[in-house]
Amino acid sequence: MSTRTVRPVVPVRPRLRRLPLNIAAAVTVVICLFPVYWMISTAFKPSKDIQSADPQLFPHTWTLTHFQRAVDADGFALFWRNSILVTLGAVLLALLVALGAAFAVARMRWKGRRQFMLMVFIAQMAPWESLIIPVYIISRDTDMLDRLPTLTLIYFMITLPFTIVVLRGFIGTIPPELEEAAQVDGCTRTGAFWRVAMPLLAPGLMATSLFGFITAWNEFAYANFLIIKQQDNRTLPVWLSSFQNTFGTDWGATMAASTLFALPALVIFLLLQRHVTSGFAAGAVKG
Amino acid sequence: MPVAVEPTSAPRTPRQRPAPHPAARRKPAGRAHGLWPYALIAPAIGGMLYLLVYPLVRAVLISFQDFRLRQLISGNAEFVGLRNYRTLLADPRFWEVVRRTFLFMAVNVVLIMVIATLVALMVERLRRVGRTVVLCSLVLAWAMPVVAATTVFQWLFHSEFGIANWALTSIGLDSFERYPWFANGTAAFAILVTLIVWQSVPFAAITLYSALTTVPLELYESARLDGAGAGRIFRSVTFPMLRPIFLLVFSLEVIWTFKAFVQIWVMTRGGPGDATTILPVYAVQTALSSQRYDLGSAASMITVILMSGVLVLYFRQMFRQEDETR
Amino acid sequence: MKYRLLAGGSVLVMAAALSACSSPSDSASGDGRTTVDVWLMRDSVSDTFQKEFTADFEKRHPKIDVKIQIQEWDGIGQKITAALASNDAPDVIEAGNTQVAQFAESGGLLDLSDRKDELNGADWLSGLAEPGAYEGKQYGIPYYAANRVVIYRTDLFEKAGIDAKEIKTRDQWVDATTRLNQGGTQGIYLPGQMWYALAGFIWDEGGDLATESGGKWSGALDTPEALRGMAFYEQLQALGKGPKDSDEDDPPQAEVMAQGKVAQVISTPGGANVIVEKNPELKGKLAFFPIPGKTADTPGSVFTGGSDLVVPAAAAHPDEAVTFIKELTGDTWQKKLAVAMSYVPNRTSLASAVAGDPGAAAMAVGAAEGHATPNTPGWAAVEAENPIKDYMTAVLTGGDPAKEAAKASQDITRAMNAGS
Repeated sequence: MSTRTVRPVVPVRPRLRRLPLNIAAAVTVVICLFPVYWMISTAFKPSKDIQSADPQLFPHTWTLTHFQRAVDADGFALFWRNSILVTLGAVLLALLVALGAAFAVARMRWKGRRQFMLMVFIAQMAPWESLIIPVYIISRDTDMLDRLPTLTLIYFMITLPFTIVVLRGFIGTIPPELEEAAQVDGCTRTGAFWRVAMPLLAPGLMATSLFGFITAWNEFAYANFLIIKQQDNRTLPVWLSSFQNTFGTDWGATMAASTLFALPALVIFLLLQRHVTSGFAAGAVKG
Repeated sequence: MPVAVEPTSAPRTPRQRPAPHPAARRKPAGRAHGLWPYALIAPAIGGMLYLLVYPLVRAVLISFQDFRLRQLISGNAEFVGLRNYRTLLADPRFWEVVRRTFLFMAVNVVLIMVIATLVALMVERLRRVGRTVVLCSLVLAWAMPVVAATTVFQWLFHSEFGIANWALTSIGLDSFERYPWFANGTAAFAILVTLIVWQSVPFAAITLYSALTTVPLELYESARLDGAGAGRIFRSVTFPMLRPIFLLVFSLEVIWTFKAFVQIWVMTRGGPGDATTILPVYAVQTALSSQRYDLGSAASMITVILMSGVLVLYFRQMFRQEDETR
Repeated sequence: MKYRLLAGGSVLVMAAALSACSSPSDSASGDGRTTVDVWLMRDSVSDTFQKEFTADFEKRHPKIDVKIQIQEWDGIGQKITAALASNDAPDVIEAGNTQVAQFAESGGLLDLSDRKDELNGADWLSGLAEPGAYEGKQYGIPYYAANRVVIYRTDLFEKAGIDAKEIKTRDQWVDATTRLNQGGTQGIYLPGQMWYALAGFIWDEGGDLATESGGKWSGALDTPEALRGMAFYEQLQALGKGPKDSDEDDPPQAEVMAQGKVAQVISTPGGANVIVEKNPELKGKLAFFPIPGKTADTPGSVFTGGSDLVVPAAAAHPDEAVTFIKELTGDTWQKKLAVAMSYVPNRTSLASAVAGDPGAAAMAVGAAEGHATPNTPGWAAVEAENPIKDYMTAVLTGGDPAKEAAKASQDITRAMNAGS
């Protein structure tokens, strides 16, 4: 793959010329990573080094006590499990529903298609913060308060419009001719889609589910307001936001808890970096 | 670590055929498309109607009612017409919040767009290794969960042990010794802007960068042959090519910063004073702290109306692309 | 291949999740036992007390299980609101005495007037019983009271040659604190937003937080009296390193004092237990004196804080809830609670239980000058938004007191009247 460097017309000392660029790159990396690094390194530092007038950029001594405190805290494992369940449930449900809708929009011509997409776009902008009270009332009246499936459903709805838009973009990039060829070979239309297009769609599905994952994993307001009496059903963001109350001045434990909360997202994003970065070019952006 | 960032549109050869899905054996109903598309979108429509439209209608209703704690508990709210809207629009504090919301949005969006464009241009010019490193760190910053990032920023700017105060003091700015960032309205506002810019730039930069890679190299070369400088090339080649994507990223960022809520709520609750109270925070505050769900809903509706100005731009862009792809 | 594996795995997980979560919260189990759900506030009872009480209660009432969940003060108003409006509320909730009026007004609480005798209503502390009543009906049952005193380090006072008993006036107090505030030691750790302490200073001067005239409440922080109270707060706050932008919970001041470099804090006496728990080395080195007044003959005014127990109208087991309240507010456990947590018991007749307790003795002196926040449903909105805290921080960080006070008073007026 060719580098896309813009080559200078007059070859002046290239190293010197690239210096500002490299410095800018280094600064970007530092700014991006410092908060993440500071969170992790604080989590590993002994308390006396954390609360010192002279912060150390690199921990001299490492300790796991903060992680121990965070993990031993009341219900940590439970909240972690809740978060995972709710998030995965929402993402998978959204993928399933969105796949059908995206296929219909990208591959079929029908009356109301444009109106449907308009609805999806509007839904993407939904003012979720303002819907807390009505959603609370509706959940109460249908006896859905305090339950994780309620959160799953809401997160599903929050991520669905976005998932449809992106998946439609991905499906649009797969030439229909491939499926048509398969149909000639005797497959049904749906069969052709599943056999031919699905494997091509895998990266798209992955990229899309990442965005859904991060949204649902992060959600705070609904989890905070809809889980009232069954506190065992709380999710990590809510727990983390109350962590400072529980742990007081223990910033080490707070940062350890944040690290454990951020870890799944960081790992998944890093592993799938390529799909993340290309996802938008092929999906959402090309609309 | 995968390095190459190429549009996924390049069709990959299917490695293996997956087992046919049970649905595949069913015959599609009717001729051509028939009812199929409607069946496919039905779950999405159903979900939207019940989980989005219905609550939205309830919210609109509440904004026309006298709806407080008593009504939340026992129901039986009375309709009061436009009273809540009149109360809000007559309140100077509300207008202050509206002004602040727009300021907050403008500052954030301008910073995000400028920084993201610069970062995207920079990444494009980097060599392979550098590019991977920068992209990875962007992705990491992006993946950082909001609540975790907010907590970390609170720690960075902690008045006693925060590294920000330490750094500023050690370069000789003694007035930052134990400086209480969250006590000063402007400082708290600035920290929130920093946080939101930090969180939003990765998405914008990566998207813009991906788009940059689609600009044909020949265009640059011919521009250079015409003797255009870097600034000129950006203005007359890069920007026009990327215009649609710029517009999209721009509208998305406008909408996202307009709705920024969790960061503010977890960090400052809109304080000190009203210094970081923007519309969504105001709506929640009114609803939950003063138990005026009716006023809170009305404020949300006004937020939606104000936002739709930006939305029109977004939809126009969406549909222009829509028509191009057809 | 990797993708499909992952997806398949998650479907399994999800299926397990949904089946695990779909069982509704069932509080009445098969053997006829009921579970009474209780919300108590953080630091309202100690772990040990909670365990002992629960064990004893379940022994005496074999058909009732007790499930106590500890809540944080931060954001509690919103949480109780959500609970009261739900179909399946907890059976007993502890609420701050200043909060009850708002919830009572909304109709979300059970009227307990006819259980008053059963619950020894005759000699309840008025500072708890009055805020628990609304329009003549009793909704909140007094739980415990406490007011703030000064907790100090006897060893540091001795070293500085100060006799705490001699501190009777503000001047003497400031003088002693200045002498203590040396080297690594903070004379007093007073965070910038401890508004209950400010309220006391304002009452000392003859001012108030808000005043009523013709049924309309308005903020009164901008009166000359209130401004003098704030000026004293500022003077005292400077004699230590308390953060100007947070309250006593962030960071918890007991933890700060446990680090050993603070000579005094303003706290309820129960705070001393927490300090010793965090740093056992301070055992025996903590003592109390009442907050000094302007002159030697009147002690400083204090806010009569405390909690009431309420039963939501939506509670599933109101009878069991009352049984629970009856036990917790009964003679035996009130006495034990008062001793364990250094609280004032909920009834005047029990006062003797803590007579020998030095913390309680200091509280009793202050209680003579006990005040309450405005008893109106609108006050809870002020506390939820708390313009007083912002006002204090603004003044401490160099703002113009008169201007900031006028602004805060306006905010209080707005908040108190927003509900009407």
